[in-house]
Order: sequence, then C-alpha cells, then structure tokens
Amino acid sequence: MTLFELALKNIRRNMKSYGLYVGSTVFSIIIYFTFAMLKHSDDISGLAETSKQMQAVMSASAFVLMIFVAIFILYSNSFFMKKRKKEVALYSLLGVRKRSIGFLLFFENIVIGLVALVVGVGLGFLLSQALLSLLLKLMGLSLSVGFAFSMQAVIETVVVFFVIFLVTSLLGYRVIYRFKLIDLFHAEKQGEAQPKARTISALIGVLALAGAYWLALQDLISSPAWRILGLAMPLVIIGLTILGSYLLFSSVLVYVLNLLKKSKKWSWRGLNLMTSSQLLYRIRGNAKTLTIIATLSATTLTAGGAIFGTYYNTEKSVEEMVPFSFMWEGEAQDIDADIVEDEVSFEAKDVTVPGESYDQSYYVIDEKTFMKLAEALGWDVENVDLTKDEVIMTDPYYDERWEDKAETVEIGDDVKTVDAFYEEPLFNQLTLPGPVLVMDNVSYQELEGENTAYQAVQIADYKNHLDLSKELEAKTKEFSSAVQSYQDSIEASGAMLFVGSFLGLVFLVATGSIIFFKMMTEAEEDKDKYAVLYKIGVSKKEMKKTVRYQVGLIFLAPLILGLMHGTVALMAFSNLLQMNLWEPVIIWMAAYTMIYILYYVITVRGFNKTITQTVTQEG
Amino acid sequence: MEHLLKVNDVEKIYGKGANTFQALKDISFTIDHGEFVGVMGPSGAGKSTLLNVLATIDTPTKGDIYVEEDNIAKMKEDKLADFRRDHLGFIFQDYNLLDSLTVRENILLPLAIAKKPAKEIEEKVNTISKTFGIEDLLDKYPYQISGGQKQRTASCRALVSNPKLIFADEPTGALDSKSATDLLESLSGLNKEHETTIMMVTHDAYAASFCRRILFIKDGGLSQELIRGTCTRKEFFQMILDELAEVGGDGNDLV
Repeated sequence: MTLFELALKNIRRNMKSYGLYVGSTVFSIIIYFTFAMLKHSDDISGLAETSKQMQAVMSASAFVLMIFVAIFILYSNSFFMKKRKKEVALYSLLGVRKRSIGFLLFFENIVIGLVALVVGVGLGFLLSQALLSLLLKLMGLSLSVGFAFSMQAVIETVVVFFVIFLVTSLLGYRVIYRFKLIDLFHAEKQGEAQPKARTISALIGVLALAGAYWLALQDLISSPAWRILGLAMPLVIIGLTILGSYLLFSSVLVYVLNLLKKSKKWSWRGLNLMTSSQLLYRIRGNAKTLTIIATLSATTLTAGGAIFGTYYNTEKSVEEMVPFSFMWEGEAQDIDADIVEDEVSFEAKDVTVPGESYDQSYYVIDEKTFMKLAEALGWDVENVDLTKDEVIMTDPYYDERWEDKAETVEIGDDVKTVDAFYEEPLFNQLTLPGPVLVMDNVSYQELEGENTAYQAVQIADYKNHLDLSKELEAKTKEFSSAVQSYQDSIEASGAMLFVGSFLGLVFLVATGSIIFFKMMTEAEEDKDKYAVLYKIGVSKKEMKKTVRYQVGLIFLAPLILGLMHGTVALMAFSNLLQMNLWEPVIIWMAAYTMIYILYYVITVRGFNKTITQTVTQEG
Repeated sequence: MEHLLKVNDVEKIYGKGANTFQALKDISFTIDHGEFVGVMGPSGAGKSTLLNVLATIDTPTKGDIYVEEDNIAKMKEDKLADFRRDHLGFIFQDYNLLDSLTVRENILLPLAIAKKPAKEIEEKVNTISKTFGIEDLLDKYPYQISGGQKQRTASCRALVSNPKLIFADEPTGALDSKSATDLLESLSGLNKEHETTIMMVTHDAYAASFCRRILFIKDGGLSQELIRGTCTRKEFFQMILDELAEVGGDGNDLV
C-alpha cells in the first residue's frame, strides 16, 4: 500500500469533511457555468434590443462573479486545510517530507477540482436551461428556445477554475511550508492579544460613515460637493463607507462590548461573560471579513434594489410617458367598441417659439380638446375658461433643478400668461413629444399653422391587446401604444432584472456561506471550550443560547450596516432618477433579510451540532 | 561502545527580548542502545520540552544532539523528515490516530511512507499487533475501540518500522490502571526481548517504575538520576517515591 492509496482511502472515508469543500466548489462552478452559458447564449443577446449593452453588463457581471467565486473557494479551502492540520502534522511527524505532503495535497486538490468541474458543468447545464426559460418568462416572451450547449462557456469555466484551483493549491503548499511541527502540540496554547478599543478610531469610523452618507445624499446638480469632487465623488463615498465600516467593526463594536463587559451586573450573569469575550476576539479578528460582507451586502442590496425598483416601476413609467392606450396621426380606425373606454379625435398645431438659447416648439390644442383629453386621462380639472391672454402648459420633461417654470409664453406678438402648469404628459410622447400649450378656442383658430388630425384612444385592460396594437401600427402613422412600450421596457429591464437578481442571489449565497464557513471553523476551534463548560455544569440550553447570541451578532452587524448603506445609496438613486422606490426596495430588503436569517439558522444549527458532538463524546 | 543518543549542553529559550523563558538549561546526558529511560519532574520543569527537542518536533536554542553519528540539532528540514521516518517512533498521550483509517492502516502508515513492499508490511503488522494483543481489532476504526486499545495501536505504529529510538510522552496519562499496566508491560517486554530503546516522559511513579533508569528534571536542568540495577520493579517504585519525597516541594503533583 502506498501513501497515495492511503490518501485516496482517506478521501473516501473523510467524505463528510470533504463534503463541505467539494459541495461549495461544485456550487461555485454551477453558478459560474450557468452564468457563462447565459452570457454566451445567442438567444439572450438576440433578445434584448440593447444587446451590446447587455453583453457589456454580462461581461462585467461575469468578472465580478469570478472574483467572488475565487474568494469563496479560497475561504472554503482555508477552512478545509485547517481541519486537516492534524493529519498533515502526523504525516510530517512520521517522516514524510514537506514536498511529498505538498504534492499529496496538490494532487488531492486537483482530483477534487476535476470531479467538481464535471459535476458542476453537468448540473450547471440543467440549471441554465431552467433559468433561461424563467428569464424568457420574466421578459414576457413565450418563445421556445433550443438551448445549445456552449463549448465556449465550458472552456471559459474550465480555465477560470483551473486558475483558481492552482492558486488554492499553491496556497496549500505555502501552509505546509510555513507550518512547524511544534504548532500541532502547542496549537491550543497560542494566545490572542486582548483587543483594544481606541476611542479615536471609533470616532473616525462614525465620522467617516456620517460623511459618506451626507455626501451620498447630496443632490447631483445643486450640491457644491459634487462641483468640488466631480467624478471622484462616488469613489470618495465608497472609500469613506468602507473605511467607516471597518473602523466601526474593529473599534466601535469592540468599544461597546468592552463597556458591556465592564458592567459586572450584566456580564457576571450566566454565560454573558463568555458571550462577550468570545465576540470581542471574533469581531476584532474578523473585522476585515465583516467589512467585506457588509460592503457586499450593501452592493447587492443597492444593485438589486435599483434594478428591481426600475422593473417594478416599469408599468408606472410607461403610463407616465404613454398615457393613452393608442395614439396616432390621421383618421379614426375601427376598434371593437366593447373595449374602448374613451376615444378622442382632435386637431393640433405645431408652433415654434424662438428663445434666447434655443427655439422651443410646442404642440397647441384648444380648450375643448384639452377638456376631452383630460377627462379621458382622468385628470382632476375644473372647467377651464381661458381668456385670450392665458394658456395652460403641460411639460412632462420639466425638472425644477434645470429650469424655472415658464410664466409667460410669447407667440408671435402676443404674450400669454401661463394660467396652469402640468408636469404630466397629455399625449403619448412617441406620437406628440414635448410640451403642449392649451389656448382658448378663438386664439387657436387664429393661430397660424397647419391643422393635423390625431386620434387618442383609451381601452380597457390595455396590456392584453398587443395584437390590436400591431394591427393598428401597420395601418397608421406616428403610432404609439402603451402595451408596446410596456413590452419593450419589460424586455429591457426584465433582462436586467434577471442578471441583477441572479448576481444578487449569488452574492447573498456567497456572503452567507462565508459567514457559515467562518463560524464553522470557529466552532471547531472552540469546541473544547464548550466541553469544559459542559463539564463544569453549564447546560446545553445555556450553551445554545450563547451560541445564538454570538452567531447572531456576527450575522446581524454586517447585515444592519449593509442595509443602512443600501438604504442611503437607494435614496440617492431614487433622488437622481426622481423615482419612488420605497415599495420595491422594502420588498427586496425583506427578501434579502429572510434568506439571510435562513443562513443564520443553518449556521447556529451547524455550530451547535459541532459543539454538542464534542460535549457528548467527552462527557 | 558508541552511545545511541548523546545530548550535549542543550538549551531551549522561549520568547524574545525581555520576555524570555529558559525551559531547558545545559542538559547533557547519554542513552545507550537497549535502554528504557524515564524522565520525571514536576509540571513545568521542562520534561515535554526536552522530549520535543530530542524528538525533532522542536529545535534547541543551543547545543548538540547526536543520534549515533548524526547531529539532529543541526539537521535540515528534509533530512529530518527522513530521519524521523527511518529512526524514530512516537507515542503520545492523546494517541494521534487518524480516525478515517482502520487500526491496521494506522499501524502500517510508517511502512507505507517508507515504501516497503506489501508482503513485508503485512507480516510486520501481524507480528507487532500480536505483541500488543490487538490482532483481533485490526479492521476496526479508532472510534470503535477503547482508549487503552487506541494507545496500543499508537504504540504498534511507533514500533512497526523498528526505529532506533522510541519517544513516549505520558503514554499512560489518559489510561486506566489496567490498560496502563498492560501497555507498560508490553513496552518493557519489547525493551527486554528486542532491545528496543525507549525514552518515556511521565509524572506517574508507577509508570516510571517500569523503566531501567530515571532522569529527574527540575527547573529546566537535570537534578538526579536513579538506576534500577538489579532491584525488582516494586523496590524500584519505592526508590522513586523516596526520591520524589526528597525532592519535595511539588511532591503532590508528582504522584
């Protein structure tokens, strides 16, 4: 029997501890491969009209995903190596050279990698099939697509993971070379330095975060901060946020815990002392990890929230820009009277008003038409009675940050006062774009310009009449329809939503898994402490309680910070786009938190299982 | 005759700068082929440090350690690995068995590492397991057998490659008295019949009484030496107890 045979046997029998590592590796490959398949799928790039943009988004996402997967595998690998230290030490003690041990581990890693690649690509293929049909559904298309097996995706995945495995193997090598035999015997004696909370860094942390938030909420156009920092602004904000998060974890939390620990009333009760001491070590040692997790959570929440919000708002923004179900230039068409709710046939003129810097053109209609249109749109408009010198103006593109509301309009020689101003569009912007002037009937008649006939139709349940829309489109000029615009937006933002939520899911799973692995490693390290606790009469119930608190804080701290960052970022985003995102964002954050909680429960269980096993074995 | 082990002015200092702790100071002694030497001393006296340094698990700060011709204190990492494989055997208080391998596989591990032919491995494992009376347990896993059986497995593993020198660190520390006696009798039998050289660290006077010679360590240095000579084991046990009483101070800790 050679050492290799023994090592192979060891793999087979140790499947449980290998399981976690192999599982996470397979998981990473599935995710990456699925994404690569989607990226290389012709159907996807063909589907979205903005296919170049889509490709760019996909490539950027693939890169982010790659980094993420690499970090994730590195984490699981180091966890795995830690578990096997004893075995490695024993080999070394029995006289196996370091080079041979290194080679053994390298070989093992490559075997695991190969198996994981085969399994991952296989499962990834199935998953990508399912996801593609889901994506098509989200994009509102009922196409049957043959999902070709993309060799390019396979090659890309293999290359990426080969590099990752090479790196983990080399890191494993490094561990072997740095490792000293005596460590095996004194491993448990290695003390950690008592974490110190420095008031100054705690203060800097809070200030950095406050500064970042303040900057993020500055208005893009009016704020001097943007003028001074310019394009560096986002970098400054991100930098300050990360710095603030790190200091918050490494100092502020430590500071708070130290305060708690000093209060004898609290800390000398039950296992509170244990809880706070463990957390102190954990948080200080894990400040970097926690910062990464908080930042990732914030990124996921922000990107996901923005994309989900946009998708969620699609209908609303369509209705804003395309208020009528159908509009076209020309004669009325025959439409099934059962579904028609309102039908306005009207005439409009086109005038151009020379301005200081640019000419502004308006569509002009008379009062009567305005009343009919307003009624069809369900606007709350009192009976309008304009005098000769008054107009009503509607401008859907009006933005108070850019311009002042026009108070008067000069048409020819007349100066007319703007009697009322509406920011909502009166017409479908695809048929009659831009601002509209409403004049009294006489002035309208007197106004020079050609009368053009238009039709505006409001139908019931407009989303279900795509066929009618297509039919009308073929027969008319300057046609626009709400259902078509809706379809187009869904197709564009549906793809975004898919890529976004897919990445969000991956990030979420990866952050959760990082914490999981981290905590499981610590459970391994701490289990002897719990065995001691059990021996001095601490009940399992109490041990579980302290575990719940410890794991809870490790989960909660980055989540809360991530939620805070995300909220601020989304507030800035919604200010920028003048979109109300509250509802979708809250749904999204709640979903995120729910999955996060699921991870927490799983981790607590795993932790408890590890320590209870030890306790019962020894007790 | 050449000594099997020759320790020359070995010193071990832990820590750096002002925070140093001298665990071993100026230790010199020799062990000859076929000896069964015990090392005793109060907790913190440096017993385990001495064993670790001799067993190449740790390196001395100063001094030389010769095993026959080779100075293991100055050896390079790779040569040390070979040296451990070919010449040294280890028995620990906590066994250090691999849970995923059977008793048989655990025992043959050193032979597999040395790339011995399968037939030879088979024979050696059978012979050594009979010596320790665990031939029926060979296909069991470590978690299926008792602590005493685990320690006998670990001893088999240490002895199977026929090393020049066996190091045992509190091998009976975790065993009940019956298992401990069985193990010690096996070790002392091997020492007598096969002239296996054993160095055992213990603070249990009963375990120590199986040795042929005992070195006492105090505060990092050698303090006393007891030789069993022609006494019976019981008489030697009494001598050890007397010696411990004389050393006094931490006496309670020793028994």
